[in-house]
Amino acid sequence: MDLQTITHDIVIAGIGVQALLAIAILLKKCWRIYPAFSAYILFGLFESAILYPLHRENWNTAYFYTYWICEAICIFLGLYVVREIFIQMFEPYPALRRLARVVFRIAVAALVVSACFLVNMQSVDVHGLAKGISLANEAARLIELGSIVFLFLSASVFGLHWRQGIFGIAIGLGMLVAFELANNTLIWHVSKTTIDALNLAKGIAFLTSLFIWLGYLIVPERLTSRADVPRQDQLEQWNQAVAELISK
Amino acid sequence: MIIISVVITLALCAVALFYMAVRGRRHSENKFRNVDLSAFRTLMDRDDELFLKKSLPRSKFSHLKRQRIRVMMRYVARIASNASAVMQLSEAARTSPAPEVAQAAAQVTELATQLRLQCVVALAKLSVEYAIPAMQLTPAMLAPKYQSLRDNLRILGDLQTQNAIPLPSAI
Repeated sequence: MDLQTITHDIVIAGIGVQALLAIAILLKKCWRIYPAFSAYILFGLFESAILYPLHRENWNTAYFYTYWICEAICIFLGLYVVREIFIQMFEPYPALRRLARVVFRIAVAALVVSACFLVNMQSVDVHGLAKGISLANEAARLIELGSIVFLFLSASVFGLHWRQGIFGIAIGLGMLVAFELANNTLIWHVSKTTIDALNLAKGIAFLTSLFIWLGYLIVPERLTSRADVPRQDQLEQWNQAVAELISK
Repeated sequence: MIIISVVITLALCAVALFYMAVRGRRHSENKFRNVDLSAFRTLMDRDDELFLKKSLPRSKFSHLKRQRIRVMMRYVARIASNASAVMQLSEAARTSPAPEVAQAAAQVTELATQLRLQCVVALAKLSVEYAIPAMQLTPAMLAPKYQSLRDNLRILGDLQTQNAIPLPSAI
């Protein structure tokens, strides 16, 4: 069995899991809590439903334009999902929200500058529409991935608790975008066999992300138990320690 | 080629970060950690530091101060971790059907968030002092509102007891 056949089978399996995920979203009415993510998944299924027949019938020109138009919409929706994660993550913490918003805007601006720099540096070798579009896609993916990484870093610095659904969405999206970025960057610089291997890796990453989303959406969130609550003496001790720190 | 290497490295680092986040979430325990008060007091004592600065040669003082800062950072990190645990606990209580519990939980979340933020500032200041030991920044300008965090948590605990839902009664 060659790599292309395995990739093809993974794509078919991916469409099946996408359909399952779409059903789970509809049954759990996820669009009420995660409207951007629901739109992202449903559009992904719609994209697969359009692209697969075009690919099977070898309508290459139609496939090319449809693929890139859908990719552009997917990137836009992906960025919208990142925004949704950001809003949901900081929503319970008004004290952090303003600061986080400012820092996030600065981070996105820095990422846009980096992406422009990336395009400028690589544009020397670019000939043809496909390469140009791929480069723009690479820049957009860099912004998307950078924003997701920023979310994880800020959650760690501010000690924020990730709710299960949001965490799953962020991990799945991050994984997918990281592989998309690596794939887009390497695809023009490697041999045909390596391209097949990259496409296989991309297919596996896509399938993994779908399973991550499905798992995190289906499994119910663990509630804070009584065992999590600190003992009175621990609280008192901590209180004294902080009081000492304040008085300094 | 350099650009390609940089982009691929970034993508791989991002995947590693996601993996660590998943692992961290799996092993995370929302536990309050103890702070050794007497050691903490000694470390926070600026007079002690001034005395050491006067008595010791510069290189030895720098070495000693860096050691102190490393330990202080651990303490501040513990306090930050405890603040984060309070944030998580009070976040759960915010969805309480009793409006007074939800309101108290919102106040506690707000205060714990401010404390966590101040801990981040304190850690940044300590990092600067670590890099330049001769510098003496205020170790932590933690919000004076901290005292009210304790009071609010106590109120929340009382309210929760009345509503028969377990939560901490004080900090």
